[in-house]
This record gives sequence, structure tokens and C-alpha cells, in this order.
Amino acid sequence: MSGDATAPVSRRAFWTGAISIGLVNIPVRLAVLVKEHTIPFRLLHKKDGQPVRYDRVCTKDNEVVPWAEIARGFEVGEGEYIVIEKEEIDAIRPESDRRIRIDRFIHVLSVDPVYFDKTYLLLPDGPADAYALLRDTFRGMGRAGIGRITLRTKESPVLVREYNDALIATTLHYPDEVTDPGRVAELSALPVPGKKELALAEKIVTDLSGEFDITEYRDTYRERIEALITSKLSGATFHVEKPKVAEVRDLMAALEETLARMKAERASVKESE
Amino acid sequence: MDEIKLGKVVLTNTSREMYPEIHLTKLDVIEYYLRIAPRILTYLEERALVLQRFPDGVDRPGFYEKDAPAGTPPWVRLSLHHSKSADRDLRSVVCDNLDTLIWLANLAAIELNIPLARLKDPDAPDLLFFDIDPEPPAGFSEAVTAALALRDVLTGLGLLPFVKTSGKKGLHVVVPLTGGYTFSQTRNFVHAVGGLLARDSPLIVAELSQTNDPGKVFIDYLQNAAWKTMIAPYSLRPTMTATVSTPVSWSELAGGIVPGDFTLLTVDAGREDPWRDLWNAAERLPGVG
Repeated sequence: MSGDATAPVSRRAFWTGAISIGLVNIPVRLAVLVKEHTIPFRLLHKKDGQPVRYDRVCTKDNEVVPWAEIARGFEVGEGEYIVIEKEEIDAIRPESDRRIRIDRFIHVLSVDPVYFDKTYLLLPDGPADAYALLRDTFRGMGRAGIGRITLRTKESPVLVREYNDALIATTLHYPDEVTDPGRVAELSALPVPGKKELALAEKIVTDLSGEFDITEYRDTYRERIEALITSKLSGATFHVEKPKVAEVRDLMAALEETLARMKAERASVKESE
Repeated sequence: MDEIKLGKVVLTNTSREMYPEIHLTKLDVIEYYLRIAPRILTYLEERALVLQRFPDGVDRPGFYEKDAPAGTPPWVRLSLHHSKSADRDLRSVVCDNLDTLIWLANLAAIELNIPLARLKDPDAPDLLFFDIDPEPPAGFSEAVTAALALRDVLTGLGLLPFVKTSGKKGLHVVVPLTGGYTFSQTRNFVHAVGGLLARDSPLIVAELSQTNDPGKVFIDYLQNAAWKTMIAPYSLRPTMTATVSTPVSWSELAGGIVPGDFTLLTVDAGREDPWRDLWNAAERLPGVG
């Protein structure tokens, strides 16, 4: 259940295409780079343990509505909708042209991380010469490519850069998706800290300064959920936690047996006395 | 100040208060260890001691010492072994005679800790150790409840358990073992017994992650490991009232004793020894090996 970050990347590319720089095409496949270790839960009916499902129910007659009868509405006033048909949406949806179109090259650190959305691993699809050339060029110059990608039906800005001997692509949020803190009222009138306070705060920061090491952080909540699931698998139904080691679990069962057997032996000795 | 020589040891700073609240001096500590020597030596001998020393008294910070201090006299027996955690060779003090015990007391080694295995085979435990540790608001009486439940399970398994006060809020239960077990076996065994108890009692917890659950009693299995230690039976504790980790009988325990009954002033070798049969008994572990 726990993720193995050292596992080989999935062979299955979910997108194949090319990085286009002007007239040059570098064939690539996209693979998963970031695997979030969320634990999926299925909702069950408590009484009989059977999965429940969501239904689309008409708010007027409480009848389940089949997909074929569903339309999309955009609310323009209280209870007033403009109806948009699926075909109309499909007609204006961007087609993935299987290209990562690079518009220009920028300094690798010039994109603020707030714009980062999802990151994918780019792998060479076919001969790797051009891939290696681009990677080494990026690495040598500290540059990255900025452009556009259409994944499924969504077009996004994309940043292509070198990371740990590979090329990676990070889709970016559009500027209007990110709140401008400058327009938040509470932040418009912050007090100005005194010089002494600032000096002290800076000293504290200096004293606590160190290297960034992401391995210092672990998802302990997930670990506890996983431990809970493991213990449930082994049959413990009320205890939130059971010994992690299978040996201990087996031993508990063996001890219970011994306890029961010795109790029975003592009882039979008593009887025969 | 008069120089007192006791056996091979020249006593120093004998009038220094080790327990300032109740004005007990280092001489009182030395006298205690002298008095209890016939009892305590049987638990110290053949083991690599870990000392907790309080040169300035128990109300000042003490320190643990695994390595023989500078100036250790040549007649003190030392045992050389490599410590993985310290990444160096340690010369542990071995206390198998009265002179060494006096020397330790004179070092203000208030607390004497013993590994659960003897020197001849440090990886083969000769004791099972259940450390019963109540988390406030649970206290000694909850620890007693847990210990009695533990006794019932252990005797139910055909084992002979012995109990002592920790000298603080907890209790220590041990079972003497025959040879041939590894620490991983004893640790799993203690863990599994704790697990059985925890399943049947809302008071008891057996997992490391639950150690700080308020009002619960944790049965700690983790000290069952090579070079990990237990407070030696009859060792003083660095508490304000000079409590002693004292072996008691199960009937005394059920009868309502409190840890404060057993101190430097009250414990002596004249008392009936509730652990008399400890080294005569040597148990095999059911379900293991």
C-alpha cells in the first residue's frame, strides 16, 4: 500500500506527442512523476456493508435522471439558466494537437511556484538524441522552455525544464486563477515593524537557517490510516492499532490458545481430584 | 573533613547532600548500598552497568554513564564491547563485589541500570521485562491494576512473574528465562502479551504510539533489546524522597502498597525476599521458538 518512490516509472505513457521548438520536433511521452499517496475510501451502507452510489435526482420530482437527459446550464439569474448542449461545448473544446509548443526560453527560476499545477516526466519517444541535447542545453544554461500544452481537453501554459537528469513538464495556472494578494483588504494596511524587532527576527531566522531537506517530512496521518487498514485486514475490528509485526500477531493467537488449553487442563485436573 | 576509607575505597564528599529535601548525604547513600549489598549484588553481577550519576544531588541535573569514568581504579572489573549507538568501544563497569558497589555509591551513581542479558552472552536475554508505565491522570493504583492483570495472564501461561516498584509511578514485572532466546523473541513476546491485555482492558495500551494517551497504562516492551536496561532491583531513584525500586510480593501489591513506602530509609536486606526464587526459576516461553 505504501508508495515506492524508487519504482520504475509506468511504461504506459498517457500522452505521446512532441516538444515543438519552431520547426524542430522532439518526440516525447508523458509519464507520471508525482504520485499522491491519498487513500481511497469507498462509501458503504453501514447496515449491510454494500457500496452506495451517487444518483442524479431531479429536484422537482425526485426521479433519477439518466445521462441522456442531462444538459448543462449556466445560471444567469435566480433560478434562470442558459442551456448549453454537450455538442456545443464539444465544438469549441480545444483539440489536443499532441504538441508542447515552446514559445520562448526563460530563466529557470523566473516562474513563481504559485503558478505550478501538475508536473509530469517527459521521456524520449524513439531516438533520444534531440531529447538529450535539449536537456543538456537547459542544464548548461539554467534555462527552461515556456509554452502551451493541451492535455485531454484543457489547454495550459507549460514549463519544460531539466530535473535530475530528465526533462519534466509542469502545467501552470492561468493568472486569473491565482488571487492577487495586493487586492486583499486585510493586507493593505499592515503595520511597519520597528528596526529592533526586525533585527531580532532576522537574527532568529539566521540562527534557524539550514539546508532544505524534504525527507524530514512524512505524512504521518497517512501512515496511521495505513496501519489502521493493516490491522483491520488482520481481523482486529475494534482496536485502532495492532502490533505491526506479523510475528507479534501470530504470537498473540498462539498465547491465547495456550491460555485456553492450560485453563482447560487445570479444570480437568480439578475435576479428577 | 576526616578521610574515611571503606575497603578499597577512599570516600569523598561524604557530607554532600544527595537528597537535599530530606537531608540525606552521600554517606547515607553509601550506607544504603552497603546494607542492601547482599540483595542487589545478585542482580548486578555479570552485567554491564549503565550508571546515572548525580554528583551535586538529585535536584541538580545528573548524567548517564555507560563508559567507565576516568580514574576508575584498576581493581574494578570492566567489560569491553562495541556500542553501535555510540559508534565506539565502551568499557562498562561490572559490579560483582562489595568494593565496586561502594566505589559506585561514592561516585554518586544513585541509579544503577542493568541490561536484561549477562556478559557471557549479551544477545541472549535471561529476563523478560514488562515496564508498566501509567500516563497521568492514571497513577500507581492503575499500574497495580494492570500489573495484576498481567500476572494473571503470565501465570495462565504457566510462567512465574516477579514484580517490583519502579520507584516512581510505575511497576516492573520480570520473568526469568532459560537460555536460547533472542531479544527479538522476548520483545515480541512482551509485545504480544501486552496486546492481549490491551484488547481485554480499556485501561491498558500496548503500542508505542499510545504511550502518551492520558489515563492509560502502557506496557512497554521496547527495553527488551540488547544493551537496553532496566532499573536494577533495589537501586535508588533520583526522586526527592529517595525511593527505591523495590521487589514486592504479589500479595503485598494487591494489599495496597504505595511507592513511597520503599525508600533509602526503609528498605533493607532484613525484609523477606519476595524474589528469592527468581534465579531458581527459569522459564520457557510458550509459543516461541
